[in-house]
Amino acid sequence: MKKSADRHIRFIVIATGIASVVTQIVVIREFLTQFNGNEFVIALILFNWLLLGGMGTFMARAAGKKASLLRLALISVGLIVMAPLELLMIRYFRDVFFIYGSSAGFYSTFAYAFLTIVPYGLLLGFALPYSLVTARNILPSFSGTRVYIADNIGDTLGGILFSFALVAWVTPFQALCIAHLPLLYLAMVVLAHGSRPKTTMAIAGAVCLFALAAGMALEKGSLTPPGMTLSYYQESRYGRIAVYSDRKQHTLYLDGKPVMAGADTALAEESVHYPLSQLPSVNGVLLISAQGGMMAEVAKHRPAFVDYVEIDPVLSDAAFAFGFLENLSGLTRIHEDGRAWLYLTETTYDALILSLPEPDTFQINRFFTDAFFNIAKTRLGDGGILSFSVTGFDNYIRDEQAVKIASLRNTAKKHFKHVALLPGEKIHFLCADFAPDTDIVALLDVKNIQTDYIHGLFHGNVTADRTAYLYEHVNIDAPLNRDFSPHLMRLMYKDWFARFSTSPTGFLVTLALFFSIYLARSSREEFVLFSTGCVLMGSQILIIFAFQILFGYIYEQIGWIVTVFLAGLLPGAMFGHRIRAHGAKILIIADGALMALLLVFLFLITYAGDRLPPAAFLILGLSMSAACGIQMPVALYLRGDKKSGVIQAFSADLIGAAAGTLITSVILIPYIGIIWTTLCLAGLKLISAGLMYARPS
Amino acid sequence: MNQLTRRRFLVSGAAAVCTAALPGPALAGVRGLLQKAGPDDVTGVIFKGDAPRHPWKWSKEAFDYHRLPDQSVVCGICPHGCVLEKQDRGICRSKVNINGKLYSLAYGNPCSVNIDPVEKKPLFHFHPRSTNLSIAAAGCNFRCLNCQNWEISQVYPESLRTYELFPAQVVEKAIEVKAEAVAYTYSEAISYFEYMIDTARVAHEKGLYNLWISNGYINPAPLDVLCDVLDAANINLKCFSDDVYRKLNGGRLGPVLETFKALHKRNVHFEITTLMVPGYVDDPEIFSAMCRWIIENLGPDYPLHLLRFFPRYKLDRLPPTPVATLTEFRQFAMKKGIRYVYVGNVPGHEGNHTYCHHCGKLLIERQGYLIKTYDLEKNICKHCKTVIPGRWT
Repeated sequence: MKKSADRHIRFIVIATGIASVVTQIVVIREFLTQFNGNEFVIALILFNWLLLGGMGTFMARAAGKKASLLRLALISVGLIVMAPLELLMIRYFRDVFFIYGSSAGFYSTFAYAFLTIVPYGLLLGFALPYSLVTARNILPSFSGTRVYIADNIGDTLGGILFSFALVAWVTPFQALCIAHLPLLYLAMVVLAHGSRPKTTMAIAGAVCLFALAAGMALEKGSLTPPGMTLSYYQESRYGRIAVYSDRKQHTLYLDGKPVMAGADTALAEESVHYPLSQLPSVNGVLLISAQGGMMAEVAKHRPAFVDYVEIDPVLSDAAFAFGFLENLSGLTRIHEDGRAWLYLTETTYDALILSLPEPDTFQINRFFTDAFFNIAKTRLGDGGILSFSVTGFDNYIRDEQAVKIASLRNTAKKHFKHVALLPGEKIHFLCADFAPDTDIVALLDVKNIQTDYIHGLFHGNVTADRTAYLYEHVNIDAPLNRDFSPHLMRLMYKDWFARFSTSPTGFLVTLALFFSIYLARSSREEFVLFSTGCVLMGSQILIIFAFQILFGYIYEQIGWIVTVFLAGLLPGAMFGHRIRAHGAKILIIADGALMALLLVFLFLITYAGDRLPPAAFLILGLSMSAACGIQMPVALYLRGDKKSGVIQAFSADLIGAAAGTLITSVILIPYIGIIWTTLCLAGLKLISAGLMYARPS
Repeated sequence: MNQLTRRRFLVSGAAAVCTAALPGPALAGVRGLLQKAGPDDVTGVIFKGDAPRHPWKWSKEAFDYHRLPDQSVVCGICPHGCVLEKQDRGICRSKVNINGKLYSLAYGNPCSVNIDPVEKKPLFHFHPRSTNLSIAAAGCNFRCLNCQNWEISQVYPESLRTYELFPAQVVEKAIEVKAEAVAYTYSEAISYFEYMIDTARVAHEKGLYNLWISNGYINPAPLDVLCDVLDAANINLKCFSDDVYRKLNGGRLGPVLETFKALHKRNVHFEITTLMVPGYVDDPEIFSAMCRWIIENLGPDYPLHLLRFFPRYKLDRLPPTPVATLTEFRQFAMKKGIRYVYVGNVPGHEGNHTYCHHCGKLLIERQGYLIKTYDLEKNICKHCKTVIPGRWT
């Protein structure tokens, strides 16, 4: 009996791990779609998730002798029901809290994320220590490390399941359903041993199945706003692609934002004709992503060949299928990361046209850096031109925007002799080794190319006054935008806050106070675990960013990174369990190992960069994760492995992870860059090791 | 995020519960219900204790306000009627109460100065091909979620880089660049009324036209004074629904309609602009009521511009307006009797051009701001000799 209970508890913990990781990823992706898709939002969700998990864990202190396997099964049923409900709440309640069609700022996103994650997050955080209490009620010698290890196994399996299977094949509600089936099965097995098993099983099973099925049934309906028809919907590896139709117009949405709607004549003409009009003849054109209507404009220059690079084949297929982009003779579609393509190809182009969103995420920022302009230059033939654009200004250029444009211009100028700016619908950058002619209408007339927008509006919008105004304000000494020191990111964050007339200061001060109070009340072992959670999440984010910068955005490999970080904890925890009797010494050695690994990371990105095989980063991540995993069993041993000690240790780990996520991605990396962030994390571990070293024996 | 009221909570809760039991087609109705339960007013608030200690730069005492016994003041410029205690700042961010006196901060400090074609305002029936010196100072009494000039309308005057241009200098500059008019535009000129009215008076004395591009959210008294020197206006009629005004713009419909009536009564040439925001403004019933009101109260001659919406500022998750919607609504408005209905932000659309309301022939062919065909003689159609409403060269 005791043996089977032990097995059931461990399996339930594993199944909960699988379900919770899948739910977490689904929720993050949903928030990226429903809200702004920048790293702030990712960090906010992870922060809320981990914080609420920590709070739920803390609440489990109240669980005592009444904790039973049957109740654990009912908690599992609660999790199963809440997962689809949480997703529905995120979708449906958005229009209650926010005006339909509007975006949300930092604080409202934070509050909304907190409120919608509360039920699931608290219950999930509660479930893990509750399972330990349950186990100890049955088997008093049951070790906290076993729960920790089981949880790690579940998390790893969940990461693998989502990253390598679910993401490619199923919708969010289907993913939730599949991920919760093992937990449902185990809950039923446990309920079968209770009193009145048939009734309980029937009710619990029916409620779970109804919730999971209702989610799937409401999948498309919950994505369709009134007055529009959902003509196409597909979850790709890279995001949510949907096409809505209204009065003969199709609009293609990527991650909740409209990106193409018929031909945006103004933008399509500006993006294409500003650069191509500069060339006497056009042989090869490389388009990195594209706007609706661009292909037809490119065709007017009769290029011999056009390479169109779009990482997401689903997005590209939808764009062509619904007529946003037209097929041209000589057009090749390449499904590859744009930057990675520049490293791969040996083709030389006359023009390279970037049509990307604003560089307000690390993923997009990679296309606006010193290293990108360097590689782009090598792929242009003599007399070639690179063009890109960022949000323009109507009648006033703000200081932050001026610095952004100056930074971009200075960065591009390092590689091109001339960088001309044209203030049209957006601000267009024309980068070449010849001086671009900015009288676009005259150039097009020479080539006998007719346009709707440029011929009519160019002289009213791109006036000499406006151009002079722009140059007057961007001729400043702004820092270059580099891969590992993304100056543009901090400007974009400022911009985001300015748009909503808010500032992150209040939040950060509150956070600093919260962590200060928490840490002041923590034991040394808890501080070690807090700092370990912090470093684990921080280094994971560092490796993901570095990996993206060096090798391009390749979803499977990012899945691997997340997975190795989860997987490394397991052998680390097992090893730590075996050597726990060595106590504080092990914590200090593990801290030392983490510092050393962070320095190795620094050395690798500084001196080896993309010459390293990607596997090197995976090995590094696995090692870091293993070093972190060692510490939990040792800390539990030092704290006495009692219920309260275990719960505090789990809480410290989760709260540290929450802090690491937020601080690394939204404060340290944008403001001090990747190199100094790495040193800060190493410094944190130095403090942790110092505290343990100074620990009274 | 707005406060969740009990009513909203109950409505949304009921809607969410019903969702689980409803079949797919009914879901749109549920979402519609939830949208109605959503935040319903974005009207700005008074900034308590936020005024500078001393009047900033060339701040001028406000044109229209009255004092209350406790050093509070009531601003009289716009229908918000901000009651400002000492050191408070008004909704428009431009008016402050310093020691019981109401000041306009933006006086003499425009943040934008450009030379624009009159077609850009848009004013299609007012001296085509002319240019104007367009100026703006910071501030706005609305909070439009789709504002395209939020960088200057939703900020404090003190936070921007500004020029120093007093009314006489504005007019001098306009003459220097050979502009025929001064336009008060981009942000909301009502928020810098004192600067606008002084400049407009000087401009008028020097023979320049005054163009007012506005949301029309102004009180009758200051408007009456402005009309003395005003030559043309383009007033936004955001939507013929008070609910939408509150939800997307932070204002009320009634006072804007009064502005139209007042301009009509004072014989000021004006054109009406409506941005067709999908899901809000493109409701056929609302649009029909709007056309009826225009015909009944203003007559058929004032041009109506229907602009295509593009996602902007905070309203960036809606699709652009379908061109078919603009075409349909244009035809509908013309059927209802409005003679000149234009489509904006759609290059190449037939609604860019002017057709004689009598013979239907093309009078003015536009390509953006360029005029390719111009078949008017003074204010008369060259083809059928009908008088075309407007102020023509």
